[in-house]
Amino acid sequence: MSVSSHTTNSVSATSSRPDTAHSTGVADSGRWSTRRIAMYALFVALAMATSFIEFPIIPGIQWLKYDPSGIVALIAGFAFGPAAAAIVSVLGFVPHLFMDPWGTLMAVLVALSLSLPAAFIYRANRTRKNALIGLIAGAVCALVIAIVGNLIVTPIYAHMTVAQVAALIVPALLPFNLLKFAIHGVVTFAIYKPITTLLDK
Amino acid sequence: MNTTATAAELAGIRFSYDGGTSWALDGVSLTVRAGEYVCLTGANGSGKSTLARLIAGLTAPDAGDVTLLGHRVFASSDADGTAGTATGANPAEYRAARRGIGAVFQNPEDQIVTTITEDDVAFGPENLGLARETIGERIVGSLDAVDMAAHRRDDPTRMSGGQQQRVAIAGMLAMNPAMLVLDEPTAMLDPAARADVLRILDELHARGTTIVHVTHHADEAARAGRVVRLERGRIVGDRRNAADGSVLGTPQPIVPAQQSAQSSSAESAEAQPSPVRSSTAQSSPAERRPATSVSRPGDGDQTNVSTTAAHRPLPSPTATSAAASTTASAASSAASSAPAIAVSHVSYRYPGADRPAISDLSLTVGAGETVAIMGENGAGKSTLARLLCALDKPSAGSISIAGVPVAVDRAIGDTIGDLGTVDSGLTPGLTPDYPPKSEHGSGERRHRKSRVRTLNRRQRERLRGVVGFVMQHPERQLFADTVADDVAYGPRNQRLTEPEVAKRVTDALHLLHIDHLAERSPFSLSGGQQRLVAIAGVIACRPRVLVMDEPTASLDADATARIHELIRTLNAQGVTVLIITHSFAEARAVADRTVTLGGGSVSADATVTTAATATVTTATASASAMDSAMTSAARTDHAGHTDHDDYAVRTNRADRTNHTDRTNRTNHVNRTNHTDAVSAPGSGADTARDERSLIARLDPRVKMVAFLAMMFTAFAINTPLQLALGAVVVATIVAMSGVGPLRLLRSVHMFLAMFVVMGLLNVFFVRSGNALAQLGPIPITDDGVTIAILYALRLALVIILGAILLETTTPTELTDGFGSLLSPLNRFGLHTQELALVMSLALRFLPTLGAEAKAVADAQAARGGTIETGPLPARLRAMTALCVPMFAGAIRHADNLSLALDARCYEEGIRRTHWRALRVRGRDRAFCAAVLLYIAVLVVLGMLA
Repeated sequence: MSVSSHTTNSVSATSSRPDTAHSTGVADSGRWSTRRIAMYALFVALAMATSFIEFPIIPGIQWLKYDPSGIVALIAGFAFGPAAAAIVSVLGFVPHLFMDPWGTLMAVLVALSLSLPAAFIYRANRTRKNALIGLIAGAVCALVIAIVGNLIVTPIYAHMTVAQVAALIVPALLPFNLLKFAIHGVVTFAIYKPITTLLDK
Repeated sequence: MNTTATAAELAGIRFSYDGGTSWALDGVSLTVRAGEYVCLTGANGSGKSTLARLIAGLTAPDAGDVTLLGHRVFASSDADGTAGTATGANPAEYRAARRGIGAVFQNPEDQIVTTITEDDVAFGPENLGLARETIGERIVGSLDAVDMAAHRRDDPTRMSGGQQQRVAIAGMLAMNPAMLVLDEPTAMLDPAARADVLRILDELHARGTTIVHVTHHADEAARAGRVVRLERGRIVGDRRNAADGSVLGTPQPIVPAQQSAQSSSAESAEAQPSPVRSSTAQSSPAERRPATSVSRPGDGDQTNVSTTAAHRPLPSPTATSAAASTTASAASSAASSAPAIAVSHVSYRYPGADRPAISDLSLTVGAGETVAIMGENGAGKSTLARLLCALDKPSAGSISIAGVPVAVDRAIGDTIGDLGTVDSGLTPGLTPDYPPKSEHGSGERRHRKSRVRTLNRRQRERLRGVVGFVMQHPERQLFADTVADDVAYGPRNQRLTEPEVAKRVTDALHLLHIDHLAERSPFSLSGGQQRLVAIAGVIACRPRVLVMDEPTASLDADATARIHELIRTLNAQGVTVLIITHSFAEARAVADRTVTLGGGSVSADATVTTAATATVTTATASASAMDSAMTSAARTDHAGHTDHDDYAVRTNRADRTNHTDRTNRTNHVNRTNHTDAVSAPGSGADTARDERSLIARLDPRVKMVAFLAMMFTAFAINTPLQLALGAVVVATIVAMSGVGPLRLLRSVHMFLAMFVVMGLLNVFFVRSGNALAQLGPIPITDDGVTIAILYALRLALVIILGAILLETTTPTELTDGFGSLLSPLNRFGLHTQELALVMSLALRFLPTLGAEAKAVADAQAARGGTIETGPLPARLRAMTALCVPMFAGAIRHADNLSLALDARCYEEGIRRTHWRALRVRGRDRAFCAAVLLYIAVLVVLGMLA
């Protein structure tokens, strides 16, 4: 999260900022304008809401559940920069912390490793091609983190050795996460254009 | 306060949203004197909202001079050139001026920042850095001023729109403004709530507050001392109303001249009698019952009518009013054929609701008829629409639409036409129970579980082709890149060929006169245009029956007229239209007849609905839901919520359908803490909560850290002894928390399945120890069983601890604690105050977004979209149709919210005071010590093992 302090500066210089026009100089401009606070808040709320919609996508593996909240983090990163991606990835999972502490830590790490690379790559050059590269890079990072995380966290919940969990990588963890990030990527790619239209309004 | 005679002075204002291509305001000069009550009127897009924002100091113009409350906030570069005058916006002056100006906006709920009313009211004063005692006084004073003092501990996000708007006004009053700027504050309110808000504005004005009020209601403008009218960014009228209100007699045409007679009366007839209105409409409310009513209701219904009338007149105008008579004749001939909508003895209760939203409703609508559904908020109007569109399943009764059996009550044969068997079955319905399938009504049916049969997949598809549903604010379901694509969504889901789809789109756009918008992005359009596009998207499915839920709410006269014209056109084509409306004028303008729902009240017996035996009848529904009549009455559950309206109920429901039991738990949190009495003025938050349990009274920071420490360390439990210790500690905490075992069970019940899965997993994976049994190739060992139990129980401890924390801590406390815990990170450049605010606002909007997601999902389902089945591209399109509106909703809320934050003087990095002071007390230290001891013992036991 330490990135948030310096990255926002450069975002304000590059991205189109609707909150600078007609500025009164009070709270409606700057790095933490009220509009930014409100946008971050609503994106975090959206991430929270979607993080509760979870369902298993591989039959029989109950604890590997798909939830669409990663899409919100990706969109936030594309629209507002890496700081927003980090805020949404972390705060979006806070409600889960008191229900599933270890799982939440892992979910946050996976969300960060997915949305941050994507946001950084897209920010460097805002093209469709870069968005695609960003999504793929994010998915690769997130895949690694998800598998390593599962190796560590699963034995805490179930009496399994790391080796036993490792045996599940190919039949379960890998296909699940590939599928998950593929859905994330395809949906993000499909919905990003209308959303930017809205944000630029 | 600055006591200049001028509250606001604007000169030569120009304002453009597109860099000067077009001007939202062009050469506007306006002076508002202190103490004036000024209304700004004009059509949508006339610039009145922009002007209001300028007066409120929330935005700066492109050119011109602005002086607010004596502060020269904006000076044009080409202005007088007085020496020393800075040009452009002057932040310091803006900041100073804004502290004296309150702003209230159209959307009530987007102005609410937190989930406890008094905290919400305190937000502005906190931003002003006022002392705690002062904040306490301000809370009491401002809530009193809007008659919400009794609700200071309630959750404003669950209130009705009218109450929310009053809380929003209180939030402004708490900052002691000299001037209040309101942008269509009543646009989303029903007539009763509207009257409340207007009365409060009058009172504030009488006390000397300057009021600037944007409205497109003629009757609201008539209350003001002065009416300023805008047209295309210019002031075209500025007149003072005579003190005696004689202006009512000669209303200046608020509606543009090209408007039809009906719609201009529609605008003005809301409050005062219009000349168009026939003399029968002036008679007493009881006499205004429809003349077409075939069977008179029984005694119960008479009581019902008088109750309603006493509360507020609810006339049901006849179809023979001057305005509607032309279209009515064409329709009534068609109406004699088979009914398009047949609703028979339908009841519905929202899951978990105390009483049914609809109770034993019967209604028949003939093919080609246009029927207006009226009734107060909470009368069950929207619920009825949802039931008709098969978006909800009635708990009893049958519904058939154009021959499609939407719901078939297997028991209906026994009761139909036999009024005697429909007893006052409401009383048992008062006990809330899960699951939602439970029903009320005559005794012999109560115990049957699911007696209503609903559609199979093919029938559902047929229904989607027959019924069109225009939900409330249908523009919120727009998603595609272009208008044409969006409108094509429904026809494509009907799997029509592309040429046919294109034809449907062209026809639908043409019907609404928006052909020229086809290639535009729906998100670049004005609100009124978006509404028309969304309606076109429903019309393109060529429905034979069209259900519209308040299609003209908060639209201006022009857009309203187009929708009325559409209804008449469709009607002429033989389409049956059911329109839900709050406007009598609208009902008169488009409907053949009006059906009024509601009138039930808590104490009254269930009213018996007349069976619809004739082809054309006017049914009176005894939908005894939570209408506003009862909200003022004894509806106070133990949770302390008093007012639920239609909307709030929907919110609750959406929470559940979202599988967000866990979210609900966050919501329940509010309830636990609201039981305490209203605290004395200025006494602060602490004294009033002494009756709370020990755990609930812990400092949230201490509680969060301690609980998290216990939760994480619980995973280190590996021996039965450690488990026993953990169990004792957790049991003690549960006992001290005051959370009853039943409530605890309810909040952890969905984890039970997880325990089973985890347990089984362990049983299967552990191969050591003695084999107890053999399950196929897998041996079940005693070690396996021991470990399964140990792992399941330690997980249970974690989950119980989490549940206790959430049950005993309000979201406000959580975010306060969160912000305070983060604050040391300030040193590393992290904006902790802002992050805490983001967190707090996110939690506040979580249920709102959940409810909206549900509404969008329903609306798209009604257009035939589904993610579960179909080819991959269609599924992706369906996913897009869900996701984009959800993001659009989030962005819309954020835009409104940012204005509300500005109006409350929030600024990055300001020094804020805190109404709720966090303090670590003796009990917090003791609790910390106990937790540390427990963890130490746990570790020692682990090392001994």
